[in-house]
Amino acid sequence: MTGPSPTLSRRLLNWARGKSPWVTIFNSGSCNACDIEILACLMPRFDVERFGILARGSPRHADILIVTGAVTRQQAPRLRRVWEQIPEPKYVIAMGACGAGGGVFQGLYHMEGSVERVVPVDVFVAGCPPRPDEIINAVVTCLGLMAEDAAHGGRAWRMGTAPVPGAEAST
Amino acid sequence: MTRVVVPIGPQHPALKEPVNFRVIADGERIVELELNLSYSHRGIEKAAEQRDFIRALPLIERVCGICSHSHTTAFSKGIEEIMGVEVPPRAQYIRTIIAELERMHSHLLWLGVAAHEVGFNTLFMWTWRDREAIQDTLEEMTGNRVHYIMNEVGGVRLDLSPLQVEAALVRLPVLEERIRAYVEMVEAEETMLTRFRGVGCLSRDEALCFGAVGPTARASGVDYDVRRDDPYLAYAEIPWNVVTDTNGDVYGRTRVRIGELGESLAMVRYCLEHLPDGPIRVSVPKTAPPGEILSRYEAPRGELVHFIRTNGTDRVERIDIRTPTLANWTSVAHCLIGRPLADVPVIVAAIDPCLSCTSRITVSNRGEDAASGTPPRTGWEG
Amino acid sequence: MTEPVTLEMVAGAVEGVGGAERVRANRIRVRTTSDNVREAIQRVNRVLPCDRLISISTVDTADAIELHYHLIGQHRTIVTVTVELPRDKPEIQTVSDLLPPAGLYERQIHDLFGVVFRGHPGLTQLVLNDDWPPDEHPLRKDWKPDPRTFYGGVRQQEVG
Repeated sequence: MTGPSPTLSRRLLNWARGKSPWVTIFNSGSCNACDIEILACLMPRFDVERFGILARGSPRHADILIVTGAVTRQQAPRLRRVWEQIPEPKYVIAMGACGAGGGVFQGLYHMEGSVERVVPVDVFVAGCPPRPDEIINAVVTCLGLMAEDAAHGGRAWRMGTAPVPGAEAST
Repeated sequence: MTRVVVPIGPQHPALKEPVNFRVIADGERIVELELNLSYSHRGIEKAAEQRDFIRALPLIERVCGICSHSHTTAFSKGIEEIMGVEVPPRAQYIRTIIAELERMHSHLLWLGVAAHEVGFNTLFMWTWRDREAIQDTLEEMTGNRVHYIMNEVGGVRLDLSPLQVEAALVRLPVLEERIRAYVEMVEAEETMLTRFRGVGCLSRDEALCFGAVGPTARASGVDYDVRRDDPYLAYAEIPWNVVTDTNGDVYGRTRVRIGELGESLAMVRYCLEHLPDGPIRVSVPKTAPPGEILSRYEAPRGELVHFIRTNGTDRVERIDIRTPTLANWTSVAHCLIGRPLADVPVIVAAIDPCLSCTSRITVSNRGEDAASGTPPRTGWEG
Repeated sequence: MTEPVTLEMVAGAVEGVGGAERVRANRIRVRTTSDNVREAIQRVNRVLPCDRLISISTVDTADAIELHYHLIGQHRTIVTVTVELPRDKPEIQTVSDLLPPAGLYERQIHDLFGVVFRGHPGLTQLVLNDDWPPDEHPLRKDWKPDPRTFYGGVRQQEVG
């Protein structure tokens, strides 16, 4: 199933998104190793800014939400709220063993135990913590997903669900 | 003046970890402080009771992603003391090397973050670039940049080959030169001096009274360092000095941490050059006899305490972890009262808070609340 | 650094409010009761002197909830003041006015074990998440999560 062919302004917007994703980082109660490895990506050694990736504090300007931690019960509602504030199309990367299934914290009394229990996830990055090059790879994978989704008019084609309202809104 | 409640965090740009302060301000001055750190509470102590010592180690290591070796060492040496086993000297030296490398990477990380708080982003970039040399060394030695799980009850998991020792030694002179440059920079750089001097002052009596630990306390002239007071690992054998300062403010804490960087580097070099021969572990029984130990460790942020009770099985009956940041929060609250709101990030950063270690705390100070209905100031958000 | 304190010095300091025993080379325990804990801590703090509270550790044994107040001073000897509280009604006077760091440690212990510290200026539930049921104390040995209780977080039907 293919969508309608994108208008020029839509293609420009998608290109801008594909080249310069704005990322926001949400710590859902992690041990901070993942957060520090993400910061290490911004540092001269790994330097993700050469891909045009910018880390911004505010969710309202973000394309990609990176979640660290296994989601404590206190952070779970806040994670949900932050995710809701991000305009479509939005993508979520869940970091590390914690993001996938709770890591070493699985089953502990104060944990939700996985990012997927709270928000839908597009990319999981393995590691505890993942290395900066693995994190960059995850973001680039996500960019690839974003480009493919844009070409198909939204993420419905790979989710097998009805399109999310707003994903195909005209600009 | 109207009282305004300013919630800071968990999404505040100045804090990379989730923490919530409710700062109750009277105009620009802070009047009351309320802390809620349940955002990072994970329930580790309870879970450790259900895992045997081997499985408990990766969990305890992940109390904190910066001082992970501190936690596994405090735990391992506590259990070893209860069991009555003696760890071989080579293992003690290797543990010390990793411990001091961890202190160095933590202090460099802190220096970058502190510089970032005052807008000195170049220093942030430089210190984190230098940190990479240490991460590389740790990765070569242990297999991971963070969370090295180098410790086992009874010794260390991996040996250091002569090539690894050589590679580590080769990186040290460059780091040494950089650290010297940072010392000069801190002494001379105007931006940092203005934002750091006179901020977050803690007198010696206050530091003792409020239970401050680590560089925060040593910067106020409190001469406590667990490595010297209650020696463990190889600290009694190798030459080193405790670094103290009398400034008592954020500037003093900066000087202490940079001084410790130099000391740690010298310790790493000494241990690499004088690594004793011999085994790296001893075999230990599966279970630990009933006992109790207060295992203390000087983590990069200060004194870390593991209170362990064993019961004759292969798991702990209880592990009670008191992290250095938990000990330092009382002094933060004290420092902040009466200060302008703009000082919050710098004063908080100055204790080098490791919030994941400190999973839960509240300051007992409470005021008339908060339900004044005044909306939060949007200047702090986003 | 000053000379380490001896067992005799500690025993003398807490005479009448507790008994002293050596636990390890640099650690001495003082056993006391909940009625005497403030007096014992004040004596240890002033006489020996132990000018710093390291931490307050807690253990839930089958019979009691133990509190261990670890103090230290320039002499580098740790003096642990130990109290046992009944599991069904663990209450004790606060020491946060004597030792300010105790304010935080006591709140933490209250949340996780349910110990009530009388006289504490603000002993409310702030350690666990906002939706945690106030009468459940997870670090008690007999505590298990009840599948029917909501302990906080997102309810799965909200996520959808």
